[in-house]
Amino acid sequence: MKNNNLTLKIFALIVLNDIGDTIAQLLMKKGLVQTGISSVTFGNIIEFASRNILSGLLWLGILFYALNFFIWIIILYKIDLSIASPVGSTSYIFVPIVAMIFLHEHVSMLRWIGIIVIILGIHFVSQSKKPIEKAI
Amino acid sequence: MVKILILVVLAEICTVIGQILFKKTTNTLEQRSLRGVHTHIQFLKDILIQPSIWFGFFSMAIGLVIWLIALAQADLSIVFPIGSLQYILVLFLAHILLGEKIDRMKFIGTFLVVFGIILITIS
Repeated sequence: MKNNNLTLKIFALIVLNDIGDTIAQLLMKKGLVQTGISSVTFGNIIEFASRNILSGLLWLGILFYALNFFIWIIILYKIDLSIASPVGSTSYIFVPIVAMIFLHEHVSMLRWIGIIVIILGIHFVSQSKKPIEKAI
Repeated sequence: MVKILILVVLAEICTVIGQILFKKTTNTLEQRSLRGVHTHIQFLKDILIQPSIWFGFFSMAIGLVIWLIALAQADLSIVFPIGSLQYILVLFLAHILLGEKIDRMKFIGTFLVVFGIILITIS
């Protein structure tokens, strides 16, 4: 059923999508760093592209993006883009917390404040009034 | 620095236009319930035959390339805070192009999210 509400199921899908996105970003950053080109100019853009096209990590990242696309499309089918988009910022909450628990990274006070502000923001967005039914 | 700023904003615009096209595509589908593998595959098929989804992919691909160029030469702590402006862009473009309502809660919430991301990513 299409009711444009942010249900727990859709929220879970958004979180899953964020996890996939984070993995994809990490893989691609790792792949890009491996190419060893630190500054891209018009002169070396071809070389930059041709080195990256052979990077397995980059392609793995792109595969994650493709899987993520399917999840995202289902989310978009069910709720407004302007709700799905900000709620999709959960990765900014989970990444520091996961890094703190599993990698024993220090999370600064400023980050904790940022995390709380984002949670508040997601809460506000989820309280936004839904249109009764969109004209399709 | 200015170069990075322009690159990131350009990447954001391409990405958001892609998102708008995605949402436009799902808006054209008739209502259905998504249960079971078969309906999901059919759903994906119906999505992928729409031209607008491919224009969306194209726009996002350009955005991704620009984003990668920016990422390769700047720190995440610079690229991500600027990137958070995407949420504000989505809010207004979804209103203008898709007719999605902006109410007070959504407005405040979106700006809080952006503010929170900036706090996290500059540190």
